[in-house]
Order: sequence, then C-alpha cells, then structure tokens
Amino acid sequence: MNTHEYDVVVIGGGMSGFMASLRLANKGYKTALISRGDPVCCLSTGCIDVLAQAENPLRGIGELPDDHPYRLIGMKGVKESLGYFLDIMQDTPIPYAGDPKKNREILTPVGTTKTTCLVPETMAHYTHNNGEYIHVISFKGIKDFYPSYITSRISNTAFSVFDAQVTSTTAIATRFEDKAFLAEFISWVQDLDIPYGRVAIPAVLGIDNPISVMKEISTGIYRDVFEIPTLPPSIPGLRLFRALKSAFQRIGGNVYWGKTVSSVERQGSRIEAITLATTGRPTRVHGRTFILATGSFVSGGLYATRDTVKETVFDLPVFVPGPRKDWFNNDFFTPGHAIEKAGVRIDSTFRPAESDLNNLFVCGSIIAGSEIMKYHCGHGLAIATGIASAGQCEKELS
Amino acid sequence: MIKTDVVIIGGGATGCGIARDLTLRGIHHYLVEKGDFANGATGACHGLLHSGARYVVNDPEAAKECIAENTILRRIARKCVEKTGGLFVRLPGDSKRFRDTFLKNCEEVGIPTEVLSPSRALDLVENLNPEMEEAIKVPDCSIDPFRLCMLNAFSSRHRGGGVLIHHKVIDIIREKGMCVGIKAQDRFTSQVKEIRAKIIINATGAWGDQIAQLAGSEAPMTLSKGSLIISNHRLTNMVINRLRPPSDGDIIVPNEAVCLAGTTSIPVTDPDTIEVDPHEVDIVASQAEQMIPKFGSTRLIRAYTGVRPLLKASGGDGRSISRGFQIIDHGNNMFSILGGKLSTYRLMAEKMVDAITEKFGINEPCTTAETPLEGQEELSGYPLSKRLKEMDNIVCECELVTREDVERAINSIGTQHIGDIQHRTRLGMGPCQGGFCTYRALGIMQEIGRVSPEESLKILQAFLQRRFRGIKPALWGDQLREEQMVESIYLGILNMGQPL
Repeated sequence: MNTHEYDVVVIGGGMSGFMASLRLANKGYKTALISRGDPVCCLSTGCIDVLAQAENPLRGIGELPDDHPYRLIGMKGVKESLGYFLDIMQDTPIPYAGDPKKNREILTPVGTTKTTCLVPETMAHYTHNNGEYIHVISFKGIKDFYPSYITSRISNTAFSVFDAQVTSTTAIATRFEDKAFLAEFISWVQDLDIPYGRVAIPAVLGIDNPISVMKEISTGIYRDVFEIPTLPPSIPGLRLFRALKSAFQRIGGNVYWGKTVSSVERQGSRIEAITLATTGRPTRVHGRTFILATGSFVSGGLYATRDTVKETVFDLPVFVPGPRKDWFNNDFFTPGHAIEKAGVRIDSTFRPAESDLNNLFVCGSIIAGSEIMKYHCGHGLAIATGIASAGQCEKELS
Repeated sequence: MIKTDVVIIGGGATGCGIARDLTLRGIHHYLVEKGDFANGATGACHGLLHSGARYVVNDPEAAKECIAENTILRRIARKCVEKTGGLFVRLPGDSKRFRDTFLKNCEEVGIPTEVLSPSRALDLVENLNPEMEEAIKVPDCSIDPFRLCMLNAFSSRHRGGGVLIHHKVIDIIREKGMCVGIKAQDRFTSQVKEIRAKIIINATGAWGDQIAQLAGSEAPMTLSKGSLIISNHRLTNMVINRLRPPSDGDIIVPNEAVCLAGTTSIPVTDPDTIEVDPHEVDIVASQAEQMIPKFGSTRLIRAYTGVRPLLKASGGDGRSISRGFQIIDHGNNMFSILGGKLSTYRLMAEKMVDAITEKFGINEPCTTAETPLEGQEELSGYPLSKRLKEMDNIVCECELVTREDVERAINSIGTQHIGDIQHRTRLGMGPCQGGFCTYRALGIMQEIGRVSPEESLKILQAFLQRRFRGIKPALWGDQLREEQMVESIYLGILNMGQPL
C-alpha cells in the first residue's frame, strides 16, 4: 500500500474544509484535502450568509445560545475570518463584495429577498427596495426559473425570454463561455432597448470567468447587470468551490478527489492514518493532525438511523436531540427543527469534546448546535470555524 | 340551481361506483366531492385488490364477496389492476392451526390456493425472508384506487352525469322533513351551488355521520386509523401477507416503482385530525422487515394514514369488526352506505342502486359486472419507454413525468390544485416527494395562465406543509438527508419562511 505523509489531513471538501486547508497550507504546512466529490456548497447560492437575524451580523453573535460555535470564536474572530475569505477570493476569477459588518439583501427566483452578507461580484448590483426598474431575462425551457414570480411581486419589473437552445443551468453557463454565443446574446439584449434600470439574469453567466462575461454584457447594453441565484445545481456554488480548489492547489495543497475514507488507524489518543478506498490499490494517508469537515446530513458527515445519529468517518460520539419523534417540528416553516442541533460537540480547542483524541479537530456544520438553517449562517460558520480549527491545529503542530 | 334525480356525496370508490351504475341504468345524477377523487379511505389504503384470503378465517362472508369481486374487477378494470398474485408467508412460530383453517376455508369459499415450499416462494419473490416455513399463493392483485375512481366517474361525466370535485356539501335542504337537495361550496371560489334531487346518497365513508347529521339523521360508525409507509423500491412483484390472524403491518403491496406496507389499527373519533405517529412507522417497518428483510434497510419516502369507516359494533377492536357494508334508508329520501372496502366497491354500488331503482319503481338490472370500465383505452398503462423518449422535457425526474403530461392534466380538468396534477400524472410521488417538481408544475401553471404567481406561491407553501406532514414520521437515513436539502432550497435559497 502507498503511504502518503502530511502535516494535516482535512477530510471534507466543502467551505469549512477548504478554509482550514488554505489557512494551513498558506502557513507552510504540508496539507491534504480529501473530498468525496462535488461538495454541498455547489448546492448553495454562492453567497456567504453570516447571520440573518441582525442588521450587523457580527453584533448578532452575542445573542446566540452559549453553545453556538460562533460564541466560541467571538465577533472579532468571525470578522477576521471573513476578511481572510475576502482576501483569498480577491485573487480568483470570482472576487466577493460586501462588508462583514453589514447584511444585504439579494433577490431570489421567487421574487422574495434573502438576507446574506458577502456576495460574488456578479450579484453585487442588486439594490433592495429603491424602486428602480428591473428587467429580468430568462431562458427558454429552463426548468427552475419562472420570471413571473419576480415580476408579480416586485413593482416596476418586466421580463423577456432568450432562446439559448439548451435548457439546463449548467449547459447555458457553458454556452456563455463561447464568445460568439455571448455576442449573439448581447445583441439580442440590445434589441430589447431597455431604456433605464438594471438587468437581472439567472446565475448562468459562465463558469470560469463570470465577471468578464457580466462586464461585457453590461458594457454592451449600458446597464448594470446582476445575477439571481438559482436552485441546485447552482453555478455560483460551483464557481466558488472551483475557485477554492484551485487556490489551494496553487499554494501546493494536495486534493484527493472522489475518495472516501474506508478505515481509520488509531494509536492511543491519536489518529495515525486513514485509508482511502480507490479503484486501484488503497491509499494510506498518514497525518500528524486531522481536521474533520464533513458537514451535516446533506453532505453525509452525519447519518441518522431509525433511532440515533452517527458520525460517519471516526464514529465520534454525537449529540442527538432526543428521540426521533422530537427531531422535527410539525410546521415546515417554523425555523429550527431540533435535529439541526445534532452534531459533534467540541471543546474550546475545537477537539471533539466527548472523545480523548487529541490530534483531531472539527469544523463546519457537523459541530453540534450550529443550526445553520435556523440562523442562516451556513457559509459564515464554515469560514469562521474552518479558520478557528486551523488555528488550533497549528498550535498542535508547532 | 341544478336539478337532477340523485345526488351522490363522496368521490371515493363507492361514490364513483354508484355514479357509474346509475349511468348504466339511465338515472340522472350529480356526484359532489369535497376534495379530489379518492380523497378519503379510498386513496389512503394499500391499493390491494383482495382475493379474500385475508378475511377467510375471521369473516368468510366478506371473503366470499372479495373473491367474486376480485374476479370481476380483473376483467372489467384491466388498466387499474395489476395481476401480481399474492403470497401468504408463514414464518417460524406462526400458528400451524391457523394455516390449516386458512386452507380449509379458502377451499370452501372458492379462493384458489397453492402451497409453495420456501425455495419455490423465493423463486417468485427473491427478497422474501428465507427463514419462512412455507408460502401460500392466492390471487391477490394490486389496484390503483385513484384510476379506479376516475374511470368510474368517466362514464358518468361522458353520459350526462355531473361531477363536481372540490365542492364541499355545507347544507342538506329539507322541505317538510324530506331531503330535496344540497348546497355545495366551491373550495377555491367559495361560490355556493344548489342542487335539487329526489334522492341523496351519503357515500362519504368516515364523514358519513357528519353528513347524515346535516339531514337530521345519524349514521353511527366505528372509525379506525390505519397508517402505512412507502418504500422507494419495488421490493416485491407480488402482494405479501403474513399467514397469521390480521395484525399490524402484515401486508406489503407493490405499486408502480414503490411498495406500500401497513397497517396499524387505532380507534379515532375525528377523521379530519388524524396523523401518523412515528411509533406506528416503527411498528409497520419492523413487521414488514420480518417478511422482507430488505424493508429494514430501504429508504422510506413517506408515511400516510387513512380512516376505515367500519360498521358500529358493540365491542372488539377495529380488526374484528366486520368489513361488510350496510345501506341505511333514513326514511327522508336520504340513504347512507356505510362500511365495506375498496375490493367490494362495485357490489356496494350495485346494492345501493338496486335500492334506488326499487324506490323509483324502475326495473333496470345492474350491468356493471359485465361492462368493462369506459375510458381505459385512453390510458397509457405506464409506458416507460415512451416517457424515456421525452427525457428532455422531464419535469419530475423521479417518476419521469414530462411537461406535456403536466400541461395535459392542467388543461383537461382546468385545475388550480397541485394534488389534481399529482394524482393524474404521478408527479411528485417518487423519492423527492415533489420537493423539486412541484415548484416547476406551478411555474408551468403560471405560464399557461392557470394561476397567478401570487396564488402559485401560496399553493406551493401549502403543498410544502402537507408534504412535510407525510414525510415527518419516517424521517431518518437518506430520506432525512433529502429533506434537509429540500429545506435548504425553500427556506434557504428561496427564503419562503417569511410571510408572503
């Protein structure tokens, strides 16, 4: 069996795993990231929700329950983490806009608005509630975008439908990479003679260089353009993940792509190595430290059986919020089903609290009490805990 | 004001069967249903066309009716019935004496049986518990209750009868103590229609007493809740029963791509407030697992519950009460038809209409047993290959429903109700339970001008709420994972948690 040696092995290629990996690789540690495949952040809007309940999300942190992971990091730590994220994205094809101290609204495909904090620059031109005219452009046959939802809810809006010959968001986004297609699209929009206001387009403006696509359209039609995030598969989520992956690889990080952990080697209170299942011979990955960033249920870090919840890589003890009948509220729309609290409890050093393992750290929504749906804090929490666990891991390494 | 001879209240199998029987005997009528077809017990059962074997030990009379009707329906309702056959499996510890009585009674009643060794049974259904002692083959079938109602109503609709779905009866009009008509309110527009008739038939199942009381009468019944679960795989191609006295979770029925297992039996009083308790899901799943071990590890996509309207009995639990039916002449031009079961709906309709022809002094015999259901030739019979050809335009990926299917369903009934589309196309019946496709179906309804976008969002919210009720009791494993993703879409990306 091949053995690969690392200072840090991060398990999970979502937002938290990449932030921890980037941080440690930047500090010069030999870092590996193991990912099962496209992470759950490909399903997200691509926006960084930090905490929706307060105008300044950082101020809202003090109002959270004591056992929320944000409380462990504190306002200052969260702010610095978000700053670090903005810096990293500045050097990628999708820089982010926004201020960690101030929430903003984005437009959703059903014409509601959603509170978030940092947004990809392709979404930055939406301004909430100023009554300015918005012209929505949709695509013929697209399954998950019905512009009349928006035009019926928001006054001073109208829509037009472009025929891109393809109907999936991924296929349309791929077409926008083609110069001839982009030119045809721009000339079609020019013919609409949109006299004033802004132009909204579902988030399909290319995959690799959305900013330049957006700018080209904007220049061609003399109007500001912004993207509206769509249902999964989400192109902004895909762009974000790709940008993080190549940023990590650029600084020497190693990504094990499409691999799952098949066994774990322990030595007393330390994890020695993990084995990855591959189609050829298995690979043994040895690490001085490990970071668990496998996320919650959707990404498979947690798995619920009929009567309990399991952590799927190390079989760590999991906090389970009561018997199954108590996991969900009766009402779909009441925020905060109890099951959201499920996860791995951590101590102040981001080690699993109910285990004696001392070279394992935990970050992201797998941490008990995160409740990312209730507080709308998914990516923000991933970034902050990713950085925080990396900091603790660094202490262990030095 | 509408005038007719007979008003039928209730669009379940019984009500629709009565409508068809009246049509064939030339009696004008209106059928009024508060929801869609198969809204009550008809749509919340196993979808099992009994051979009668289930009842043969405790209620041989009911078993006799079942086998007769089973034979008739296999002939007249080809596109609703899948001739799966059924097995009664005897597991270690199950009574041998019960098995002997079972075989003896089947012979007396006329239910054909064949005793199979475990290896022969496993040849037929490979997922069966290999520990079984033996299996007995009987002519159980799978039946689509919704199609059955639609086709029965089809005859009526195309030959002069009136069918009003989504109309709730809010009053029964009486003059000098006699019933002379009803008032029905449109669920969407709140408009009230008055229908005058010579006879009112109360075929509302569990709601029978509520309707009878509107006419100052009574229709006492025992209500028993039965909960079922749906697996996301077709784990068996035959109906599987446990060879023992009727009990919780002893039947598994294949239906399209999924399996239904149930039921429980719990006395209830109000048919409008029933819910599945997570505990019932555990009971049914663990019982089903004994017959088909894979049921324990398979993904459950939802749980649902219905109310059996049973004839009032002095004692005993829901299962020991007869599944027979009863027709009450309230003496005020209203009849109630109570009890019964899906498998014998046609016989119930025949007896009901016999009572009416007698009252009208008409001598017109019943022909429903010989006449195949009309409108079947138009039904697809689920051609998967045809649906695969239209992959480009698939709106519901789980059940391969195309945009054309959805548009056809919307245009043919002029519906504003997402459930109507689901019943007619199977949209949203698969593993995601409408989590993705309902939003699309509503988008299509908007595009063809059927609903406004504002209404559409409200409908979507109501749908998500209903959907969640069905899924919640069986949430663990992969279904929980998918549920959290659906939540992240509607409450996260679309932010529909805010007041709209």
